[in-house]
Amino acid sequence: MATLLFEIGTEELPSWFVRHADDAIVGIVSARLGGAGLAHGAIRRFSTPRRLAVLVDDLAAFSERRPDVRRGPAESAAFDANGRPTKAAIGFARASGVDPADLLVEETDKGRYVFARRELGGDPAAELLPPLLAGVIDDLPAPRKMRWGDGDVAFVRPLAWLVALLDDAVVPVRFAGIEAGRTSRGHRFLHEGPVELAHAGDYPDALDRASVSADRSERKASVIASAESAAATAGLLLERDHALEEEVTDLVESPSAILGSFDARFLDLPEAVLATVMIHHQRFFPTREQGGSLAASFVAVSNNRVSDDTVVRAGYEQVLRGRLDDARFFWDADRRATLAQHAWALAGIAFHKELGSMADKVARVAKATRRLAELLGVSKEEAAVLKQALPLFRADLATQMVYELPELEGTMGCAYARAEGLPEAVAIALEDGVLPRGPSGALAASRVGALLSIADRLDTVTGFFAIGRRPSGSADPFGVRRAALGALRTLTAQGWRVPLPKVLQAVASSYSAPVVEDDVLADVERYLWDRVAGLLAEEGIAPMVVRAAVHGSRSVIGAARRAHLLQGLVAVPGFSDLLTLHKRAANLAKQTGGAARVKPGLFRDPVEGPLHDALPEARRGVERLMAGVRKQLAPWDLGHGPGAELHGLDAAVAEVVRLKTPLDAFFEGVMVMVDDAEVRGNRLALLGEVADALSDLGALSYLEAPAEA
Amino acid sequence: MRFQEMTMALDRFWADRGCVIAPPHDTEVGAGTFYPTTFLRALGPEPWRVAGIAPSRRPADGRYGQNPYRFQYYYQYQVVLKPSPSDVQDTYLASLYHLGIDPLAHDIRFVEDNWESPTLGAWGLGWEVWMDGMEITQFTYFQQIGGIDCAPVSVELTYGLERLAMYLQGVEHAFDVEVAPGVTLGDMRADFERQHCAYNFDHVDADLQRLLFDRFEAETQRLLGLDLVHPAYEFALRCSHAFNLLDARGVLSHTERQGFVQRVRRLTEACARAYLSARAAAAPAEVA
Repeated sequence: MATLLFEIGTEELPSWFVRHADDAIVGIVSARLGGAGLAHGAIRRFSTPRRLAVLVDDLAAFSERRPDVRRGPAESAAFDANGRPTKAAIGFARASGVDPADLLVEETDKGRYVFARRELGGDPAAELLPPLLAGVIDDLPAPRKMRWGDGDVAFVRPLAWLVALLDDAVVPVRFAGIEAGRTSRGHRFLHEGPVELAHAGDYPDALDRASVSADRSERKASVIASAESAAATAGLLLERDHALEEEVTDLVESPSAILGSFDARFLDLPEAVLATVMIHHQRFFPTREQGGSLAASFVAVSNNRVSDDTVVRAGYEQVLRGRLDDARFFWDADRRATLAQHAWALAGIAFHKELGSMADKVARVAKATRRLAELLGVSKEEAAVLKQALPLFRADLATQMVYELPELEGTMGCAYARAEGLPEAVAIALEDGVLPRGPSGALAASRVGALLSIADRLDTVTGFFAIGRRPSGSADPFGVRRAALGALRTLTAQGWRVPLPKVLQAVASSYSAPVVEDDVLADVERYLWDRVAGLLAEEGIAPMVVRAAVHGSRSVIGAARRAHLLQGLVAVPGFSDLLTLHKRAANLAKQTGGAARVKPGLFRDPVEGPLHDALPEARRGVERLMAGVRKQLAPWDLGHGPGAELHGLDAAVAEVVRLKTPLDAFFEGVMVMVDDAEVRGNRLALLGEVADALSDLGALSYLEAPAEA
Repeated sequence: MRFQEMTMALDRFWADRGCVIAPPHDTEVGAGTFYPTTFLRALGPEPWRVAGIAPSRRPADGRYGQNPYRFQYYYQYQVVLKPSPSDVQDTYLASLYHLGIDPLAHDIRFVEDNWESPTLGAWGLGWEVWMDGMEITQFTYFQQIGGIDCAPVSVELTYGLERLAMYLQGVEHAFDVEVAPGVTLGDMRADFERQHCAYNFDHVDADLQRLLFDRFEAETQRLLGLDLVHPAYEFALRCSHAFNLLDARGVLSHTERQGFVQRVRRLTEACARAYLSARAAAAPAEVA
């Protein structure tokens, strides 16, 4: 048993890569060791901007022994008339790593064949490791790699050094012209000279002494703790920002927080502007007063620990002042025109050459939004807000602030609307309309904002489909997939029970060039339902249940609720039995031409009447289930799961499941396809009613009863 | 340290490390990367090291001299090392030390930067170097230039001279930077900046620049037909500048803008290919 250290030293890695590699490296190392048959204990991982490393405990000295059996040619082809191995047999033996004389003949169900048997494994770890560890570098997931110097090897950033130690012995790994050794490096500024390692196990302490905080989760905790305590020295609270915490953790090897401040006159800029400048542009944490308002101070997390931080702080403050000056300039300049005036400039901003300018897009969105509002129904107040918001929607795209800080789109629309003194609901709708900003971003809370968001996104999806630019595989240059997901999430969260085709017609009818043909719109609808299915799958719904829900629904919220209901129902034993019978009934009922009415006078067998009599109860059960689901599952952010679980529906489920007994008896007792056309037609009509009684639960034919005998 | 002492110190530093100290190129460019000593020399297998001050023009970035950091005319210090040496980060930090910036007394970071120049058909990966939160240098490993894979890979260091000087002299506006005793950058450039901003934003004759673009484009192609790569490349640079002026003047729609970018890119890529084939044709003689 030995301890293995492998450290990949690099020039500074991108922060997102450090995080991904930190997540992936243990799995990669463990897969490689497993593949080589090397047993091992726990694997610890380390990562900083300049290194990725693993420390493997209890590594076996030799790979595990395992038998290797390969079948070769048939005996008749393997030996000649004199019993000597043929060329085919010799070739097979060589390829299998055995001597031709050691080939065995065994009986199989296809005849007698030649076999090569040998034992693999038992190789020393020290021999297996060099190529194995080089392979780990190749396996690290990176979407974009680079070359450097004279070499043709690619990695995320140039490799600088490698350390590979098996206990106290160097493992001779070679990669990109670098030979692994026992020499690591410490912090770029806080540690002078190399870090020599006598033994693999010395690694954590040696790095610690070299001012490198190499355990990522410890470093992250220390980033947060030091930033919070820096803020606390001025009685301030740190503004927590998850993404910033992650990023800063991977920008430093030794975090040290510094509190700085800026001129309080900048505090009259909108908070979102201040936060964006600090967080996105400078990677500074904003701070708040105990009372809640943003403070004129920030916390920077430095990668260096200087004895006197006056110079560093002054540097931070000067850069931030420059940025805030810029922001103030845009804020003042943009407000010299109204949002309505900025909206004129949208004609000069292209959306796509075949889909017109942003002004064209916004005009289409306005039409579509009005139609959607009619379809969904809005209050008088909401209609008034909509009327004011529509001509200003996305006008902030033409402002200097959004040109310079594009992540503030929508936020600035809201801020400028407030500054103009427009009603608060209008300002909020303008920001809500650009939400969500990402796959997990917050959704529009206001109904008016949601209408704008849905119309805008579906305009994008429909338009690109209409000009033949639908996304394919991973390629989605126009963000169509993102737009589709945003629209569907918003639609579901609003709980609007409107058929998706009607929503799409409202959007498509605002297009005049290009005209959206019916087949294109049908294609868009299929694409959207596929995305709904994907979002439901992310909520853990089984694939067949997703299909039954999607194919049995016209509105997105309906599909989402049915999915969760059916997911529960398929687990009820009696329900799956009923499904089998129901499927049989539905299949037979398809043979009836029209919707014939059931005539009890034509019942000829005692099992027909009870089935007919049981239908009202089953229908009531289905109604109660659907009502229960609507009541219990409040609209939610699709893909993220409803916040509630279904409960108390057992009685309704029982009402539905009770249909099983008379239906079973019916199939046991009567022949449906009898010669008497009247009786046959009547029985088919009865089965048609059975199928119809459960149809509101979804397209049940997609559900397979698990234990069908 | 005065501004001119800084540039002299950088010249000395990089000359000592095997660089040719090349005088600035005399055609307008948006950045040192457009210099033939960078763009063309980054192509092909020959080792190459060059450094020097690189005046650059970005008409749209002008702020009439009001903004302390943004100008339509400014100075970069450009270094290209081919192939990229394995100790280039340490050498770079040593150059800061040489300027009087002790890396141990500051917060210096190498922050991911993915560089791309659509008009040059070029991209590379590297960092922005931050000192106490301020970007002072761009550090790029060229992966492609003129649409051609770089082999070997060159590394380009671009120092923002005005920012470094502001920092070293403790002034808050680039125009307050002292160049020589009693002379500031503002003395040298304030009028120039203001007048060019007025020209770029309000008085560029758009019809003339469109006409010039068309003629320069045709000239680039004609010269490439005569295997005159260097003159051809200069006309491609003039196209790029005419496009930048039209862009600053605000007369290009988004789509039209894309069209101009494509046209410049086709020219620079054609120059890159022509440079490489001329090099290949000349190679046997060099060997002999």
